[in-house]
Amino acid sequence: MLEVKDIKLVRDGRAILNSLSAQFEKGKVYAVLGNNGVGKSTLSYVLMGLESHRDYDGSIVLDGDRINGLSVPERAKKGITLGWQEPARFTGLTVKEYLTLGGKMKLSSEELLEILAVVGLNGDYLDRFVDDTLSGGERKRVELASIMIVNPHVVILDEPDSGIDIMSMEMIENVLEKLKDKGTTVIIITHREEIARMADEAYLLCGGRMLASGEPEEIVQFYRKLCDKCQHINEPVRGDVST
Amino acid sequence: MIESSYEREFKAIAQEYERSGGNVSDFLRKDIVSIIVSGNKIIGRNTVEGVHLRAKELDNGVEVWLDIDDGIVVDNPIHLCTGYLKPEGVQTVLIHNRIGDGSKVKFISHCVFPSGKNFTHSMVADTNVGKGAEMLYEDTHMHSKDGGVTVMATYRTRVEEGGRFQNLFYLTKTRVGKLYVKMYVDLEKNASAHLESKVYEREDDYLEIDEEINLNGEGSSGIAKTTVFATDQSKAKIINKAYGNAPFSRGHIECNEIIKGDAVEVGTVPELYVKNEKAELTHEASIGRVNVKQMETLMSKGLSEEEATDLIIKGMLR
Repeated sequence: MLEVKDIKLVRDGRAILNSLSAQFEKGKVYAVLGNNGVGKSTLSYVLMGLESHRDYDGSIVLDGDRINGLSVPERAKKGITLGWQEPARFTGLTVKEYLTLGGKMKLSSEELLEILAVVGLNGDYLDRFVDDTLSGGERKRVELASIMIVNPHVVILDEPDSGIDIMSMEMIENVLEKLKDKGTTVIIITHREEIARMADEAYLLCGGRMLASGEPEEIVQFYRKLCDKCQHINEPVRGDVST
Repeated sequence: MIESSYEREFKAIAQEYERSGGNVSDFLRKDIVSIIVSGNKIIGRNTVEGVHLRAKELDNGVEVWLDIDDGIVVDNPIHLCTGYLKPEGVQTVLIHNRIGDGSKVKFISHCVFPSGKNFTHSMVADTNVGKGAEMLYEDTHMHSKDGGVTVMATYRTRVEEGGRFQNLFYLTKTRVGKLYVKMYVDLEKNASAHLESKVYEREDDYLEIDEEINLNGEGSSGIAKTTVFATDQSKAKIINKAYGNAPFSRGHIECNEIIKGDAVEVGTVPELYVKNEKAELTHEASIGRVNVKQMETLMSKGLSEEEATDLIIKGMLR
């Protein structure tokens, strides 16, 4: 289980995340739903332990171990990974090299093709470069494929549908299904109701804190009715940063 | 073909050539133009119809003339291999290439100096690419591990109307030692050039690259791109220049220097000069550590910092 307790992250005197708490049980798919600017991507960076996002208060506990001080590779070793909203591009690296991490992951051609098929890509992509020659949608599909290959305990998928056409929602569902089958805890960061509905449970994130949790449909309705009118839209809480 | 008296020397160079990624069997094929130089000796050569190869031994090196008739498409790359097996000395290589109008040719050049402790290799290549001709020159260097090699390489190229020239320089697998590269290209009407250099510096390696594109003809275009990965106490100074001298000429220069290590010293100077109001020149330059987002992307998949750096750099220097 991944437990997040009272997380607070301050930037320029503003609490981007403020008293944020949540629990993510093993093998379940969670959605963290919220508008732009409420702290969704910040939460994903804090969970992954990016160098620029480790100066937070509160605690992150994975299976009983506090992991606050752990770096990205150390968290990755514990089985946490991140599917980036806008994945990095790499000059000169092929899709095959990226997926196998330069050969570190030992996969047969059949296994690679099988995983590519899940994200709607064929074997021709293995020799393509993970650079600007891939469209945003193709790059995103490669990212989802790489997540499946890593076989994580916990994955944070930051806006998994961004750059991917609406017709491909089924593909995202297939990816979630595959991850769930392997017992992966999935945390989907999203502002899309359709994506939130794919989860087992959902949180509503607003103003840097979890406002509500429950059944995805319940949270979606809450989001639809109240979030548009909420004063916290695009404006993280100006909290008392000294506490 | 290999001179029988130099078979032992050929084997030693061939071993290093293979290490640098070359295929030695190409030197033994009759349908491939090749020349192999060791020190100041020409130990092997071959040519095909339409390609005229002459070579002369100098006191401390060789001089080579390579003339390609008009309209010749050389099917297989021309292989040049320059080696020096002794730890000390000086080698001078002078190359004169004439690519006939409408001809197409690719050169693969490997320079192997595996034992150099106090060795200087000086190379000057002057090249003329004829009207509508296409030439690709790919130059890969393999130097010794202890950094005792100094290379001074100068390329002067004129590309005539409608011609295309591409020069790729790689020194990524071994220590650099001291490397001074100068590339000058003069482009005539509608001619184009692409110059690219990739260097991986280690320990106290030193590098200077000076690239210059002269866009003299209307509609000519050129790109000069340099990528350097500087580590440890290495130093690098890169100067990329472009002169827009003709209408509708376009030039772009780019230099990316990635650094790793507190004692690294690198610099880049882009220079753009326009002498015609219809010319267009652009430049990009960056100096910094390996892109953090790229690093964290790979580390979040399970690579260590070292492994992630290696993979990123491998791609960039490919």
